[in-house]
Amino acid sequence: MTVPGNEAELLTRVVSGDREAFDAVMRVHQDRVFSVCFRILGDREKALDATQDTFLTVFRKAGQFQGRSAVGTWIYRIAVNTCYDQLRRAQRRPSESLPDHVALSDPSAEEAIESAAVRPEIELALAQLPADFRNAVVLSDLEGLPLPEIAEILGVPVGTVKSRVFRGRRLLANHLGNQNDQ
Amino acid sequence: MHDHPLDLIAALADGSLSDEAEARALVETCPDCREEYRAQTEVIGWLAATPAAEMTDLEKAALHRDLWTELRNERSKSPATPWWQRLSYVAAGLLVMVGLVGVLNNGGLEGGAESGATTTAAIAQTFDEAPTEEVPFVAQGSDDSESAPEMATETTAAAEAAGEESLPVPFQELADEARANRADRVAPQGMDQDTEECLTRIGLDEHLVADEVELDQTYLLVMPEDPEAEPIVTFVVLPGCEIVFVG
Repeated sequence: MTVPGNEAELLTRVVSGDREAFDAVMRVHQDRVFSVCFRILGDREKALDATQDTFLTVFRKAGQFQGRSAVGTWIYRIAVNTCYDQLRRAQRRPSESLPDHVALSDPSAEEAIESAAVRPEIELALAQLPADFRNAVVLSDLEGLPLPEIAEILGVPVGTVKSRVFRGRRLLANHLGNQNDQ
Repeated sequence: MHDHPLDLIAALADGSLSDEAEARALVETCPDCREEYRAQTEVIGWLAATPAAEMTDLEKAALHRDLWTELRNERSKSPATPWWQRLSYVAAGLLVMVGLVGVLNNGGLEGGAESGATTTAAIAQTFDEAPTEEVPFVAQGSDDSESAPEMATETTAAAEAAGEESLPVPFQELADEARANRADRVAPQGMDQDTEECLTRIGLDEHLVADEVELDQTYLLVMPEDPEAEPIVTFVVLPGCEIVFVG
């Protein structure tokens, strides 16, 4: 997709209320933001909410972007933090179950869910990982982001990211091995 | 106790080592290292085979709509519109009502695409007579003139009270009409390049342009091309190529 102008410049225009600039930034990053949120939260509706919340925050805080990282890295950091917030709220309300229904007004959503579905046992194993490990594995092995970028997104050293990715995979393998033994 | 650097084995598994010699030697000689390598490789393979999660076109359209609705609501809580401007919007609303009553009295709502076009033209004419301020319910940039929150609020509140999608009345009527007369809608012959590029950019290139609507500016009335699909009507503001409503 063609990005009209430098992204940092687009954010500057967003600060002054340029809607086209904001739409351009959204179009470049909305797919990955949704994918990250969906993999972290494991629920389509919650991922859509988190995606909207992410871009609301991007709009409100565009003036705070200092250019020390790529715009995408900054946005994905907001997305991960937004997902963390959702997970923390869900933990405080354990009776609230994650909905798994499909929006009947959008027939293509069901197809989209099926095509993006991780094998059920992998999805279960991912959901049971500690959040820090799950985020690292999602960003590295599902989204294919390089470790230095993941470190920026998560706000931790590269070595910490490596450790979380490797240990997260190990936990997944252990869990899946236990499932296969059942 | 195993004290080999397992992160080295994991890095070998995901191909991130520049020099693999040491790691390969460990895998060949150390059973625990070999097992770690197998586990890491297996998980990486499973995860890599997973397709990316994607939003549908409608989800993207709804995302843009809901986001700008939220931002507009935030802006409407800012300093109140001057009384003289509110008065002008009320006057515009009265003109719209008078125009619609005139259309109804002239039998402009009998079924079929022809009368739909007549209704559209009548509504367009009515809006042409209204003040030229931007239609208040359209999302605006921050340097635009203040919207008329009271007018939009009344329309939204009424629709919400009725438990309906909160579309302003003229757009709701057009959406209802498009759904009802879907089979009779004829797409404009030959779309120009700007329109095609606009629809491609916002992911609606496989949708049918059912009509062009001239109100305060040009709107495209768009719905899924597949006749078997739910006829969800979307409005696209043509000059800025932005999705305004989904209904």
